[in-house]
Amino acid sequence: MWQYQKKLQYPINIKTPNAALAKVITSQYGGPDGELGASLRYLSQRFSMPYPELQGLLTDIGTEELAHLEMIGAIVYQLTRNLSIDEIKKSGFDSYFVDHTTGIYPASAAGVPFTAAYIQSKGDLITDLHEDLAAEQKARTTYDNILRLCDDPDVRDAIKFLRQREVVHYQRFGEARQTKWNDYGGAADKTA
Amino acid sequence: MSEREKLLRKLSGAMFAAFEMQLYLDTHKHDTEAFKSFKEYLAIAKKCKEEYVERFGPLTANDIYGDTRYEWLNAPWPWDNSKEAYK
Repeated sequence: MWQYQKKLQYPINIKTPNAALAKVITSQYGGPDGELGASLRYLSQRFSMPYPELQGLLTDIGTEELAHLEMIGAIVYQLTRNLSIDEIKKSGFDSYFVDHTTGIYPASAAGVPFTAAYIQSKGDLITDLHEDLAAEQKARTTYDNILRLCDDPDVRDAIKFLRQREVVHYQRFGEARQTKWNDYGGAADKTA
Repeated sequence: MSEREKLLRKLSGAMFAAFEMQLYLDTHKHDTEAFKSFKEYLAIAKKCKEEYVERFGPLTANDIYGDTRYEWLNAPWPWDNSKEAYK
């Protein structure tokens, strides 16, 4: 089970609302390489992991991804406060606004609702760890793209923190894969 | 930065450092230096948390030490801009 801590993993205090930026960043909430998919991927894969090290790693990283989901939600929320209808129209945020007002909804920047098809849980240690390594790099690239599109220092600061966490998770998954590859011998029938 | 924010930043820093050691230990469970460091950061976090809860209210709904009423619902919530929540 989980217990909620009434704090963000890293503080978010955005001074200037920016609806166009919110629309882009919402992709890391419910888009193809976002934090919702990340948390569901790891927290689902861990059940069939055969080693305690991997069960622990997926539990702990999956839990951290929930904290990142909350950070992205806070960024989008703070970027969309006190907007005038004129700003909503001019920024292109109107296509989000018409369906969700300024509620936080898991969808990609292009408006595609979150789907479990973004993730995989294959019940195979090697397959799942490679999925996870790829997922961390895809999320890292998305954060790089957000940094290319964003010049607000308050937002960049938080996005840079999140980007760096993808790099650390990739490192840990890589260590787990290297350690377990020999034990497992690549044979899917050994522990199934 | 308010006193609450300063203490929360110190607490978050210690908790983050401890968590970073936790992930490292997940793949290096025999590293005794890392485990020592994990325990040190946890001790700092524990101390900061106790001070925070006493001065500024609960971090989890179960933090009710010394309270005479239910403080969990008090502002700010984590997604509020802390500059504005205390206006």
